[in-house]
Amino acid sequence: MATNQQQVLISPAELAYLHASLSLSPEPIRPDGRSSTQFRPLVAETDILPGTNGSARICFADGSEAIVGVKVEVEKTKPKAGAMINPEEGKEEKGDTGVEGGGGFDDDKKNYSNDWVELAVDIPGHRDDDPGTAFLGNMILEALLEDGELVKRLRINSRFHWKMYLDVLLISQPLSYPLPLLSLTTHLALLSTRLPCLISEGDEDPMFDDDWAASTNLYPPRGEKSKLSTSRPPITLLVMSVGHSILFDPTYEELAVADAVLAVSVSEEPTKPVPQDTIATPKQAKDRALRLLSIRSIDPPSRITPPGVPNGLNPATNGEVAGLQPKHAEARTAEVPATEGVWKAPRGGVSRSVLSAMVFKALEKGGVADEVLDGLQGVEMASEILE
Amino acid sequence: MADRRRINGPVGVTSPPVYANHTPGKAQKDTVQQRPDNTLRQIFLKTGITPSASGSAYLEVTGPSTNGPSGLKLNCTVHGPRSLAKSTPFTPYTTLTTHVKYAPFATRQRRGYLRDSSEKDLGVHLETALRGVIIADRWPKSGVDIIVTVLEGDQPREVFKGTPDEGIDAMNVLSGCITVASAAIADAGIDCVDMVAGGVAALVASEEDKGEPRFVLDPAPSEHDKILAGCCVAYLPSRDEITNLWYKGQTSGNDTLLYTQLVEKAVQASRGANKVLVDTLKEGVTEAGKQSKGSMEVDR
Repeated sequence: MATNQQQVLISPAELAYLHASLSLSPEPIRPDGRSSTQFRPLVAETDILPGTNGSARICFADGSEAIVGVKVEVEKTKPKAGAMINPEEGKEEKGDTGVEGGGGFDDDKKNYSNDWVELAVDIPGHRDDDPGTAFLGNMILEALLEDGELVKRLRINSRFHWKMYLDVLLISQPLSYPLPLLSLTTHLALLSTRLPCLISEGDEDPMFDDDWAASTNLYPPRGEKSKLSTSRPPITLLVMSVGHSILFDPTYEELAVADAVLAVSVSEEPTKPVPQDTIATPKQAKDRALRLLSIRSIDPPSRITPPGVPNGLNPATNGEVAGLQPKHAEARTAEVPATEGVWKAPRGGVSRSVLSAMVFKALEKGGVADEVLDGLQGVEMASEILE
Repeated sequence: MADRRRINGPVGVTSPPVYANHTPGKAQKDTVQQRPDNTLRQIFLKTGITPSASGSAYLEVTGPSTNGPSGLKLNCTVHGPRSLAKSTPFTPYTTLTTHVKYAPFATRQRRGYLRDSSEKDLGVHLETALRGVIIADRWPKSGVDIIVTVLEGDQPREVFKGTPDEGIDAMNVLSGCITVASAAIADAGIDCVDMVAGGVAALVASEEDKGEPRFVLDPAPSEHDKILAGCCVAYLPSRDEITNLWYKGQTSGNDTLLYTQLVEKAVQASRGANKVLVDTLKEGVTEAGKQSKGSMEVDR
C-alpha cells in the first residue's frame, strides 16, 4: 500500500492507548465513538456530470470525497483467439444467437472479454505509476469482473460491444485508506449509468436512438420490467482486526494499530429475470442473499509504526524509574520483550480463525454489507424520485 | 505510457502459428491432468545463483504438459539491507521494496519493459506477504530491494485457450514469487520470524465430472474447463499464521464452508512448498560447510 510508505505520524504512546481501547472486549471503544460495525456518515449524489453516461459523488464526514465518471464507446468485438485455427468455431458462432444467459458452460462460449472494462484511479499526491494506486484499481476492477454481470450487460450483439471506461478520482487528500469510498462511489456511478437505446436488430451494425430520454439504464431500477437479472454492482468493504475485535470502515488512526486488514468484495446474489407480468419488489435485507467475490489482504501501516521504549531501557530515565536492571549500552531495543502499555509493531501474520471471523462478519445476514447495500439503495431510489 | 526510449516490438499481438495436431474432437481440452488432486507439481529450487546480490534464488515449477520443458520459471535477487539515500527521512524499520517483472518473452502476449498494472499489483501482494515475515526493526534507516523476474509464465505456448484465466495464472505466479523470495531472503541472511511459502488451491469443474466441483491443489488452468474459485495464501507453518490472503471466485455468502475449505487446501499446498524450501536451504548450508572446509573463502 502506497500510503504505507509515508510515516505514520502518531506517537508510540498514542498508538499504545489506541490499541488498548480498540482491543477491549466485548465492545471496543473507537476514537469517534462508533460501534464496531458502524460506517462513517456519508453524503452521496448521482448524475452530477452531464458529459458522462453515469456519475456519482460521495463525501465522507471526515472530508474525503470522490467522484466517478463512466464513459462508454461502441467497439468491434475481436474474434476469439482460437478462431483462426479452430475449425469448430463456426458452429459455436451459430449457437451464439440462441438463448440468452444460459449459464454454466454455455456462458464461456460467448466471447465476453474482461478487456471491455477499463478502470483508472487517480489519487492526489501519488504518482500515476505508484504500485499502491495500481493495487487499489485492480482491487475494485477485480470485484466488478469476478461478478461477471457487468461484462454481460456490455454486449450489444455478436460483433459489437460497449467499451466502458471508469474514471475514479479522489478529490481530497487520502486521509484514510480510500478503498471503501472509491468502491461505493463506483457502485453508485454504475447504477446511474445509461446507455443509448438500441434500434437496430440482431447482428447488424448497431444504430441508436438519438433521444437521450429514451436511453436505458445499465442496471435497470428495481420494479421495472426487464429481461436482465436484477443484480447490482459489487461493493468492497474494509475490515480490520485488533486483538479479538473486528472493526469495519477503519479510520487512519485505527489502521495504524491494526493486526490485519482485509478488503472483502461482496455482491447480491442475482435473482432470475422476473416474468414480464409480475413486478419485482425492492429487496429487503431479510431476503437478500450475499455472494463473496474476492478477498485481499492489505498491508497494515501498523508494521512501520515507531516502537515505544519501556522506561527500564530508556537512556533518559536511566532505567531507574521502573526499578528494572540498569540499561546496557549494547542492549538492542529490537529485543525488548512485550510490555503492557508500550507500543510494539506487530510481527508475523494472523491466524486463519481470525481471518475467517473477519470474512464471516462481513457476510453476516443483516450485517454491515446488508446495511451498506440498503443505504445505497436509498440513494438510488431518492435519485429516481428527483427525476 | 508508451516506452519511447527503446526499440519496441511490433504494436499489437503477434502470435506464433500453432498448428492443430490433436484430433479435432478434443480441441477444447488442452492438457489432461495427470496427477491426483491433492498433490503439487514438481518444484525445483536453488539458492545463491547470482553472486553479485546479497541473496538470490531460482525456482522452477513443471508445466501442465510433462512432455515439454515449459513451466513457471522465476529468478529472485535480494539487495541489502543497505543504507538509504541521504534525502530519505528517518525510518525506524527496514524499508522493503518489491519488484515483480515479467520478462518481455515470458508470456504469450509480449510484455513491455515498463511494469504494467498487473505486475505492480503482484509486487504489492508480494510486499504484503513478506513485510510481516522480516524482522524489520533490526535494521533501522536501511532498505531491502527484492526483485523477482518471471522468465517464463505458467502458460505453455501450445496451450490455446480462448480466454486465458488470468486470475489463477497470477495466483500461481504470486505463490511462486513468495516461495522464491523467501528462499532468497534466507540466502541473504535477513532475520525472519519464519519461512514463508506460497500455496494455491482452486475449486474446479469439468465436463467429465458432469460439472460437479472439486478442490485441486496447485491448479494448472489449461487442465480444467472452468475454475469457480481460487485462493492464494502466504503461510508461516511454525506460527500457523497467514500474512497474505488473496481469494477470488463466485461463491454464495451462505456457503462459508467453501471458503474455509479452499483456504485450508491452499495452506496444505503452501506446506508442500515449504518442505522444498527447507530442504533446499539445508542443502545450501551443508554445501557451504564443505566448501569452507576446503579452505575456500565463502564471501558474502
